[in-house]
Amino acid sequence: MHDEPLLNVSNLTVNLLTAKSALRPVDDVSYSVRQGECLAIVGESGSGKTVMNFAPLGLMPTGVTTMLSGSVKLEGRELIGLPEAEIQKLRGKSVGFIFQDPMSALNPVRRIGRQIAEMAELHLDMTPSAAEARALELVKLVGISDPMARLRQYPHELSGGLRQRIVIAIALAGEPKLLIADEPTTALDVTVQAQILRLLKDVQRRLNMAMVLITHDMGVVAGAADNIVVMYAARAAECGPVDKVLVSPRHPYTRGLINAIPRREDPIGSEFRGLPGIPPTLGAPIKGCALQPRCELAVPACGNSRPPLVRSDDSAVLVACPVVNQGKAAA
Amino acid sequence: MTQAPVLKVENLQTRFKSVQRDKYVHAVDDVSIELYPGEIVGLVGESGCGKSTLGRTIVGLEKASSGRVLLDGVDLSALSGAALRDSRRALQYVFQDPYSSLNDRQTVGETIDEALVIAGTRSPEERNRRTKELLDQVGLASAVSDRHTRELSGGQRQRVAIARSLAVNPRVLICDEPVSALDLSIRAQVMNLFLRLQKDLGVACLFIAHDLALVRQAASRVYVMYLGKIVEHGPSQELYDHPSHPYSQMLLASAPEVDPRIEKNRRGPLMIGEVPSPTNPPSGCRFRTRCPLAVDDCAKALPPSRVLSPGHTAACTFAGDLHRGKRSALLQQEVSAA
Repeated sequence: MHDEPLLNVSNLTVNLLTAKSALRPVDDVSYSVRQGECLAIVGESGSGKTVMNFAPLGLMPTGVTTMLSGSVKLEGRELIGLPEAEIQKLRGKSVGFIFQDPMSALNPVRRIGRQIAEMAELHLDMTPSAAEARALELVKLVGISDPMARLRQYPHELSGGLRQRIVIAIALAGEPKLLIADEPTTALDVTVQAQILRLLKDVQRRLNMAMVLITHDMGVVAGAADNIVVMYAARAAECGPVDKVLVSPRHPYTRGLINAIPRREDPIGSEFRGLPGIPPTLGAPIKGCALQPRCELAVPACGNSRPPLVRSDDSAVLVACPVVNQGKAAA
Repeated sequence: MTQAPVLKVENLQTRFKSVQRDKYVHAVDDVSIELYPGEIVGLVGESGCGKSTLGRTIVGLEKASSGRVLLDGVDLSALSGAALRDSRRALQYVFQDPYSSLNDRQTVGETIDEALVIAGTRSPEERNRRTKELLDQVGLASAVSDRHTRELSGGQRQRVAIARSLAVNPRVLICDEPVSALDLSIRAQVMNLFLRLQKDLGVACLFIAHDLALVRQAASRVYVMYLGKIVEHGPSQELYDHPSHPYSQMLLASAPEVDPRIEKNRRGPLMIGEVPSPTNPPSGCRFRTRCPLAVDDCAKALPPSRVLSPGHTAACTFAGDLHRGKRSALLQQEVSAA
């Protein structure tokens, strides 16, 4: 393993300009992923977790002007400022994508086998017949029974879980070094979710890839990820190893999120725990701490300036909350 | 419970014509459930198992092919015209997605007012007063009345949708995944709203959801549905502590743990494959194709429902053993794809 992380994002800020408005969905966020590592990025809708990963790779809706600042380095190569043609070469080759809804990620009128083979032809310069053979290999790799028959089928003939396995096979077809999975199990049932997560973890380990797992569900993080970044309102609230952040969360938002998950010990009919209030709407950057109106620890000073993400009492964990960090000794 | 059930569903069947000729999809197959006044009852199962179709058939959004829906002992299928409309009012539906269930061009006030007009409240003053009261009940300030629903957040929209269904004084709410479209930090607020409504207004609630932990905490009883049939039913605590159908056991065991120490040591029992097509359901026990305990007899006949403890039933040949913990559908699973 190299010392240099495979993906190194530092001080990334994304500004979006549409015909009507200007937004900043990502505000000065830094993180990195090493080869063979899985990083979970957790946040609610609108927290910037998807834009943060897709904008540097040019995956943004049309009609939106995207302005990036900061640095995103993939294998030491700076992505920001790279021409679209260069970035296009990376997509699907160095970076594989898995999207939330497998039905809309697949082409409904082409056979499964062709869709996988196409990737191998495009990115690995394979002949059609070699690519077909590779498709068969990949379908076996993602644990699909009767692979020969599946390759001849169309997406609508498959169940949701099988479709997601196909999407994973397509993502792996270009032999990516980095896999970005955006809510890969959200559209699936809890039973299938467990299977898909295990598969993702398994291929990630076997192929020694780096993986970024974008999710809103704390439940899928524990089994799959090594490190975690918790996003709130375009900023990172807390980051560190999963074993530490999920077991003893420090930031009030992380604590609130974990605390909000119902536990078996909770009496039936008892109140659900949650955070008060609602997340801020995207818009102009917030001057102070974005969580202040919802936070039980908030002091007036929280509204004055944005809390920096600094080392907590555990040096592996970074927390953007001055109140928590002040009481380091107590925690 | 000594009270009479407010909603009783008897042997309900809903089938859809399949694209294949002369074939039917039995989305809901011979389902009987009961709801008592002021009770939250959970209905869980994987997608495609028919839980939403059951809910939609109860309120009349789908036509039942056979069976009865009784509201306060009155068979809805025997009613028509004004009498049916009056009864239906007592039965309201809260949809999953508050972004598509509300009219973006209406203000919050108009949305609720419309329901009141339909309910027959003539006087505008009275409707105004009632709108304020309803908004208050769902925890919204009366000032939102003039705002368009499109200006609201997901949680606020779902509150408006709930206020709208409460406008006609329903006795039963069918809530179809009412919080799954909402953000994590908002869910608890809406769940607590349901708990409060049930306490304050005595509305009975059929809570359709796939989040098992959520259902456990909210519901007093739970029905587990698989491929159109209820496979297990019981008081929440009892069912979650002693799941006695292999499907319930595996469903409960699939829920991920947040604590990485538990999650990493979990010898994960994984459910094999996915729900088979309801066009051609397996013979006998419908779960047998995915069940680790299945024996030859399971294919022959539908296993009868066994009573395991008061109010707790499961439709499995081995339910007794599973309930006593003598056998388990877990721990003997290998990872396997469909």
